Amino acid sequence: MLAHTLFFYFFSTIAVFSAIMVTVSRNTVVSVFFLILVFISISILFIMIGAEFLGMIMLIVYVGAVAVLFLFVVMMLNVSQVNIKKTSRKGFINNISIGLFVGIVIFLELLVAIGGWKYKADFINLSEINFNTNITNTHALGNILYTDYIHLFQISGMILLASMIGAIYLTFTKKENIKRQSYFEQIEREKSTAVELLEVENDKGVNLDD
Amino acid sequence: MEYLILLLPLFGSIISGFFGKILGQRSCEILTSLFVSISTVLSLFIFYKTLSQDYSSNKLIFNWISSGEFNVKWSIFIDPLTSVMLVIVNLISSIIHFYSIGYMSHDPHKSRFMAYLSLFTFSMLALVTADNFLQLFFGWEGVGLCSYLLIGFWYKKPSANAAAIKAFVVNRIGDFGFAIGIFLIFYFYGTLDYNEVFQQTPLFAQNKLFILGFEFNLITIICLMLFIGAMGKSAQILLHTWLPDAMEGPTPVSALIHAATMVTAGVFLVIRCSPIFEYSQTALNVVALVGMTTAFFAATIALVQNDIKKIIAYSTCSQLGYMFFAAGIGAYHVATFHLFTHAFFKALLFLGAGCVIHSFKDEQDIRLMGGVWKKIPFTYILMLIGTLALTGFPFLSGYYSKDAIIEFSYLKGGAIGNAATSIGIITALLTAIYSWRLFFKTFHGKYNNKIQKKSSIHESYLIMLIPTSILAAGAILIGFSFKEIFIGHDSLQFWQGSILFLKFFHHDDLPMWLLIITPLIVTLAIPVSYYLFIKNEKIINNLIIKNQSVYNFLLNKWYFDELYNLIFIKPIKNLGLFLWKKIDIGSIDRYGPDGLSSLVKLISIKAVNFQSGYLYHYAFVMLIGFSMLLTYLILY
Amino acid sequence: MIEITIGHYLTLAAIIFSIGVVGIFLNRKNVIIILMSIELILLAVNINLVSFSIYLQNLVGQVFAIFILTVAAAETAVGLAIIVIYYKNKGSIHVETINSLKG
Repeated sequence: MLAHTLFFYFFSTIAVFSAIMVTVSRNTVVSVFFLILVFISISILFIMIGAEFLGMIMLIVYVGAVAVLFLFVVMMLNVSQVNIKKTSRKGFINNISIGLFVGIVIFLELLVAIGGWKYKADFINLSEINFNTNITNTHALGNILYTDYIHLFQISGMILLASMIGAIYLTFTKKENIKRQSYFEQIEREKSTAVELLEVENDKGVNLDD
Repeated sequence: MEYLILLLPLFGSIISGFFGKILGQRSCEILTSLFVSISTVLSLFIFYKTLSQDYSSNKLIFNWISSGEFNVKWSIFIDPLTSVMLVIVNLISSIIHFYSIGYMSHDPHKSRFMAYLSLFTFSMLALVTADNFLQLFFGWEGVGLCSYLLIGFWYKKPSANAAAIKAFVVNRIGDFGFAIGIFLIFYFYGTLDYNEVFQQTPLFAQNKLFILGFEFNLITIICLMLFIGAMGKSAQILLHTWLPDAMEGPTPVSALIHAATMVTAGVFLVIRCSPIFEYSQTALNVVALVGMTTAFFAATIALVQNDIKKIIAYSTCSQLGYMFFAAGIGAYHVATFHLFTHAFFKALLFLGAGCVIHSFKDEQDIRLMGGVWKKIPFTYILMLIGTLALTGFPFLSGYYSKDAIIEFSYLKGGAIGNAATSIGIITALLTAIYSWRLFFKTFHGKYNNKIQKKSSIHESYLIMLIPTSILAAGAILIGFSFKEIFIGHDSLQFWQGSILFLKFFHHDDLPMWLLIITPLIVTLAIPVSYYLFIKNEKIINNLIIKNQSVYNFLLNKWYFDELYNLIFIKPIKNLGLFLWKKIDIGSIDRYGPDGLSSLVKLISIKAVNFQSGYLYHYAFVMLIGFSMLLTYLILY
Repeated sequence: MIEITIGHYLTLAAIIFSIGVVGIFLNRKNVIIILMSIELILLAVNINLVSFSIYLQNLVGQVFAIFILTVAAAETAVGLAIIVIYYKNKGSIHVETINSLKG
């Protein structure tokens, strides 16, 4: 069990430290990197504790998609270096004291609220699905996800669809003065409207201005 | 019929006051004068009935207050005293109404004036026909109000406004004492009805009242309090300061209110409450002393005044002092008789002075008049009759009433009686001197006016002269005609229960020197004052220069106004200023409305910072709220 | 302290949650930090759910954690799209200048 303890403390320390650095560091890109570090360490914790599917999924989705998306946006927008002037530094110190105070209050309350739960004598099992150690975590999750929680699964799919539509609609602008191909119009062209036969007289030319 | 007497002037006042614009000025004047004249005729009729048939009645109008044991009615109570007062009030009021039609002919606000005059008449009638103290107090306040309205009639003049306020405030001080008297009466007697109070008074004669550890006789205190009210209303010494300033009002107002009716309300009160006053010798002595002092003091001031109306005003003050000390020595019927005659000749004098002022185009200083007796003969004769009556020239009305006062005070004897007699005689001399001074300076001697030409002086309108002559006729005839009825041997038969005498005076043996001395003095005063004021003015001027300080003392009305200013007005004004600036504005407003409004403003300015626009501020606030909610849920 | 119980994991989740919450209003830089703090909060909730799931031998926690993952990804996408549009309109995403809600 010692390894378990050591691992836990090590990775949780990294996670907490990185979380602090996310909010505190000056460069935004560095913040994103520390966020990635938080995700990775927590993922390792998950794998250690036995929920390996979730750990891997976290790596793939959070780190691979969300954090990279953050990086894209950070790089794309001009997040300039913050010039911390003297005045805002003072404001920062004023803010930080009350902010820390409120943060500590939240933290303690969380402990009290959840810690009170620890002394509960009887736990009620909400569902009868127990751990079966013969199948992997992924298998077990798959067993219940597509059967008992199929509604939630579909709804979460629709949430993803909605967010996708939203993101596309927000950022997509049709540029007016760019020539594009509209293949519907191309296919619909007919001989009767496209071609016209004209009698041309000598030395007169054709008027194409209509 | 009695209802009409009381209510006709009220209707006249309401119609003229509210519908004056619609009806037009001329019809308002005619309407109000007509109503008051009808009221006069009716009151003369009632007087006649009282004389011949001993008529008396008590007609209820309506029950005013009826709460537990406190019952007050509005009623018209007629008895001999009331009938006399009714005649005085109504007759003089109707004469003044007609006179004002002429006097105020150049004034744009005639209907308002007439409305006020009729309202005053109504209040005075309510006062004299009351059968309980509360209705009396209503009339008392009503005449005070009308006095304020009428003195300040020309409200654009600041001096008129100030005089009106002064009259009202000084009256109020008297009313305060009066109110305390009424409270005491109600507290001890349990009722405010005259009959019940008067019947129960003998039972209370020995009761004591404890104030601040000192023991006083109850009846004395009640009488003194009532007398303070009379002092305020009738301008006795200490509360007299309003009367000369009240001359700011138009002359008809001075004639009506400050000669004949309102100022006699105080005398009427004392006479009406004679059943109570008779049981307190102390109060009667105080009344007599105050009356004597006022009579003397006012006469001395009138000697040196230069404004024609002010001289007559101080003369009123002095004559009221006569009435009061007549009442104070227990001769209430004499006081009433003097009231009756005084109303006539004083109103005559005022109206005559009004004619003079009108002829001189609003000049009031007698030093700027003189030598016009041939130009305005009719006014001259009227003023002559009035002055003769005032001084007590034999066989005119003033002679009968004033000499009766002096004789009765001699009859009373004792310290008070003797003092009263001597003061009465001295004051009669002073009265003669100043009255003739006024008369001669106005009509004889050199013509002193710088502004007017002598040729432009002309007689007043007929409508002003005719009512005045009615008064003159009264001044001549009243004394002789009614002497026997009012103060003669059988006068008790006339007065019956309206005046109470514990010990009736027998007007029999009087020494000859007493009967002669006063008529002699006043007759001699005529040539003496003619000589002093017209022929040889140097004697007077030398006297003035030698005694400059005494002259100034008298000219400045014994410095009463300055004294009151120093003792009362300045400290109260400073107190008022202090309270206003420091407490009202500084404390109450600062912490109250102003403080609240600026507090709201400050808080809202601070609260605006919440809406900073920064997202993280909003998130922060949400977080704080969430943590507070969590704390609450955890702890409870 | 040697034996790792569920309490440790819960404490860890609480710490990361607090850091995320504090990070929302303590940053002076730009709006993207806010989004990253929100990710941290969601992550802390995930840790809670998974640790309860393991210690109670019940798979429901993990199922719910998957859904949270999904929704977090969707929300991040939309949030970043908004930031891109905002940058296009206003020209800067510095926190101090985003105060048009003021009043």
